[in-house]
Amino acid sequence: MAALKRSMINDECQIQVRFVTKQEKYALPETPFTIPSGIKADSLSVLVNNLLRETHESGWDEVDFDFLICGEFVRLPVFEHLKLKDINTEVTIEVEYLERFPAPEPEDSLNHDDWVSASHCFKEWILTGCYDNTLHIWKTDGTHKSTIPGHCGPIKGVRWIEITGSSATFASVSHDQTVMLWKMNLETYAIECVHIGRGHERSIECVDVDKNASFLATGGWDNMLKIWAATSDSNSSNEIDDSEKEKGYSVSSGKSLRRTPLMTLPGHKEAVSSVVWTENNEIFSSSWDHTIKLWDAELGGLKSEIVGNKSFFCISRSPLNKTLVTASADRHIRMYDARSQEGSIVKATFTSHIGWVSTVCWSATHERLFVSGGHDNILKLWDSRRQSESPFVRHDWTRRQNSVRRLVKSFSNDKWGYG
Amino acid sequence: MATASKSAKRRFEIVENNENSAEVDDIIEAQVSDNADDSTDEESSEYSGLEDEEDDSDDEDDNSDWEEGSDEDEEDETHNMSTNEDSEDDTGENKVRPTAVPMIQDGPSTSTAQLPTSPVEDEYAYDSSDEEDLRNTVGNIPMNWYDEYPHIGYDLEGKPILKPKRGDEIDNFLRKMENPESWRTVYDPQTGQDVILSNEDVDLIKNVMGSRIPDGSYNPYEPWVDWFTNEVMETPVTGRPEHKRSFVPSRVEAIKVGRMVHAIKMGWMKPREAKDDSVERHKYYLLWNADDKSEDVRRIENPIPAPKPRLPGHAESYNPPPEYTFSDKEINQWNRLADTPYQRKFPFIPKRFSSLRAVPAYDRFARERFVRCLDLYLCPRAKKMRLTIQPEDLVPQLPKPRDLQPFPTVCSMIFKGHKGLVRTISHDPSGQFFISGSDDQTLKVWEIATGRCFKTFEVKGTVRCVSWCPNSAIALIAAAVDNNVYLINPGVGDRLVQAKTDEILKEMPTQTDYLIPQRVRAVLTWNEPDKVQWASGFRVILTHLKAVKHVAWHSKGDYFSSVMPEGDNRSVLIHQLSRRRSQLPFSKSKGLVQCTLFHPLRPYLFVATQRHVRVYNLLKQELTKKLMTGAKWISSIAVHPGGDNVLVGTHDRRLCWFDLDLSTKPYQALRHHGQGIRAVAFHKRYPLFASGSDDCSAIVSHGMVYNDLLKNPTIVPLKKLRGHDKFDDFGVFDVLFHPTQPWLFTSGADATIRLYT
Repeated sequence: MAALKRSMINDECQIQVRFVTKQEKYALPETPFTIPSGIKADSLSVLVNNLLRETHESGWDEVDFDFLICGEFVRLPVFEHLKLKDINTEVTIEVEYLERFPAPEPEDSLNHDDWVSASHCFKEWILTGCYDNTLHIWKTDGTHKSTIPGHCGPIKGVRWIEITGSSATFASVSHDQTVMLWKMNLETYAIECVHIGRGHERSIECVDVDKNASFLATGGWDNMLKIWAATSDSNSSNEIDDSEKEKGYSVSSGKSLRRTPLMTLPGHKEAVSSVVWTENNEIFSSSWDHTIKLWDAELGGLKSEIVGNKSFFCISRSPLNKTLVTASADRHIRMYDARSQEGSIVKATFTSHIGWVSTVCWSATHERLFVSGGHDNILKLWDSRRQSESPFVRHDWTRRQNSVRRLVKSFSNDKWGYG
Repeated sequence: MATASKSAKRRFEIVENNENSAEVDDIIEAQVSDNADDSTDEESSEYSGLEDEEDDSDDEDDNSDWEEGSDEDEEDETHNMSTNEDSEDDTGENKVRPTAVPMIQDGPSTSTAQLPTSPVEDEYAYDSSDEEDLRNTVGNIPMNWYDEYPHIGYDLEGKPILKPKRGDEIDNFLRKMENPESWRTVYDPQTGQDVILSNEDVDLIKNVMGSRIPDGSYNPYEPWVDWFTNEVMETPVTGRPEHKRSFVPSRVEAIKVGRMVHAIKMGWMKPREAKDDSVERHKYYLLWNADDKSEDVRRIENPIPAPKPRLPGHAESYNPPPEYTFSDKEINQWNRLADTPYQRKFPFIPKRFSSLRAVPAYDRFARERFVRCLDLYLCPRAKKMRLTIQPEDLVPQLPKPRDLQPFPTVCSMIFKGHKGLVRTISHDPSGQFFISGSDDQTLKVWEIATGRCFKTFEVKGTVRCVSWCPNSAIALIAAAVDNNVYLINPGVGDRLVQAKTDEILKEMPTQTDYLIPQRVRAVLTWNEPDKVQWASGFRVILTHLKAVKHVAWHSKGDYFSSVMPEGDNRSVLIHQLSRRRSQLPFSKSKGLVQCTLFHPLRPYLFVATQRHVRVYNLLKQELTKKLMTGAKWISSIAVHPGGDNVLVGTHDRRLCWFDLDLSTKPYQALRHHGQGIRAVAFHKRYPLFASGSDDCSAIVSHGMVYNDLLKNPTIVPLKKLRGHDKFDDFGVFDVLFHPTQPWLFTSGADATIRLYT
């Protein structure tokens, strides 16, 4: 009887809502509306569209909206959502609506000869590293500009350092334990290796550059984090390593300069898998020893540490909301906030991948969006407000957004992202 | 009077009705007609005041004429007359309540009470029977047989004795009220008369009711005459004084006693022992000889009652509630269980009867009685000590697997690339790579994080065993391929180390003053690879006489051992890499050697033959321990990184954990695999071990070893990891833990390597 009564209430219950938005063009008058509680997001979207059509005399194009109640997207019927969130239904509820983020579509496929292990996008230039020891430079319209042999091991990380005028510099790290600093003329595509950084004892896994483009940080399987100068000044030693000459390291000019790390940050007990340089001159490094360490790049000291319970494969930090998302040796994506004083508390867990998540990346432009790629060959776009997946994304979307630095390591040959 | 006449009329009407309904015999009709004729009065004067009563009622009475048939002696008649004259109305009253004094309704007794005087003798004169009242000759029969008849019996002459007229109830009552004698008036069913009890009769009745002697003349309080007194008299009956002799002790006796005392003192005579006659008197013996058995004693002292039969329930009722009666479905089920009747819900089908009267004889009675007797007869009447131990209590308290995380649970990666079954895998010291050896005559180096196959080494032959040098300062892999052991520089990892390794191995160390022993030379040669082989990574080739099945590195990376199971007494070889020397540590064959392992810390060598694992001290060159597995065929062994615990996997499905400090017997044997175990492995850091079996599964277990010597290792099986497919009756060939992460690699016959995390 009680259940029946309750269900009747559910069916008949009306709730008062007020629609608010932060997108000015979709603004509505702030009158509260009474809606049936069983309504879902798509019906709400129709409702809002109708309201907007009434306010706009000059015709209205249908727009899909997403709805947030208390900072979380509405995916269930409103009543259940409220129940889940324990929100009182007797007062007027504020429902925020925003244009639904369109599901990204693949635009193009940049085909490689072997597995693509790393990529980075900067302005309209794309840099990729490949398991056949070559680097590739592409433009965002999909044209292949250059193939750069040089490393004698599979590339593990690539990074644009600077693009100024007609010249660009970028760095690449590889299984051959070297960091290479390259300079490219954007008009002639003349590429030369300006520096070879030696110092790591095992393969280097990751590279990142600081905001002034003057330092590089690399981490590798020798458990070390090393800081290198990223400037391509030629006043350091001009000596060319004989062995490098032999192995054909130098590419065009033969003027390759050996470089040693400015600083070595020991502390990790196992391989450093990912490194992120923040705008405050701090370095986050994630490692297989289940920790994320925060280093002070100026002093070279350890500032803090986040301890997880799985090996970290990749971290990404959003410059907009300052939180970290991590990919570790399981199918979950975890979000941490390094600023919190409570220790290593996982702020949120995002689960939808069915294999290991190998890489994650925050959007550079959108505060709440990030992408993840996993061993299940799926790239997913997430909104941090909702802990279930958004419509999944193909890598081309990342180029359009100009934000993803590093793509999923593909585990099937010849293609990006997917096999 | 008016009321009485009315009632008489009514009674007549009733009788008439009876006539109409033809329920009354013709005789009655005839009698009634006689009554109507008034021809009955001539004898009525002979007997009983009922006629008076009849007369009182004035009206014609149907029953009155029946009295004429009773033949009484004149004395009786007169007596009755007199009494009845006293209490005319009482009779009617007694009719109303004939059972007012039920105790004396027996005809004979009342009649005797009525006839206290002489005629008893007369009675005997003509009748020898005990019956004292012979006015009615029907005998000792229930008088209610005559209820339907107008007469109550027959007199000696054979004439019916008619029932005296019974007045109207109300009249009787009124009469009773008026009659002071009504309380002592009783109904005599023998004659149908009302009898007024005499005072003696009443006394007798009172005595009987009061449990006294019925005879009123008996005096229970007669004066007591004490003929034989029990009192002791003060003075004797005779006044004669006792003789003087009676006060003086006997001199003869004194002499006699004195002699006896002397004889006893001198020991000539022994006093007779007091006879313990109690023994004699109570001489018990065992009637049945077996009584002394404890069970029999118990049976006597502590008998076990026979098992109680089941009490009947509602279903046994003759009219069970509808829920107990069988529906069609239940009847079908009943019929189905005809072969196994003990599985039925009831041993019978509950049936309903409208009344208990309708219940037929119980057809199963004899059968059930027989079964019950059989039960009692066959029931073992012995006390069984039942141990109330729950099976759960016997299981040791093990921690839950949930609390023992991390351990591998899901398959995260599958390394595909081999074309034959993958027999062996081994990881590099840092955990970045691992190498696998397969029947497709290749060795493959894989990057663990990405699943990328980095390198492939072609070898000519089946790869039996591969082992990565545990010393991170040397980049070498030892691979047993047919008769050869290849030392291969994998070309991954630290480039400096690779270069150094190459440098060391480039040139044979000079062996000037070393002569290879004949025994060794016969089975082994150290060969240099040719240029092509060198370029592809081969650094040293050790060619054996027979097929090599197993290689194992010492933890320092300088020594390694190889095993040729068919090499008889030369099956185990220990090689030193830096000096390129080999030795045969054993001169005698102890069986088919399966594998050898170096102790991780101390100079011990574990040698597993088919049945035993022997532990040799390499410094002292002696046998330290022999582990008895109790198995038929050992397949693999693994040594705990602490060195004190050994895991032995056998082809007969057992996984034995040996604690070397405890004994040479297995500390624990785990039988969780369905088929023979192929490989066992310990984790270097986590308290985990794993076993891989031909049943296509690997089992991960928790094996915590404590530093405390008093605490035994905790072993908890955690998870069975499936995934490999069966191929040629083979399942999992090798298991391997990642050196730093709680990850497990398994290589299988389905040409894949799986990573479980």
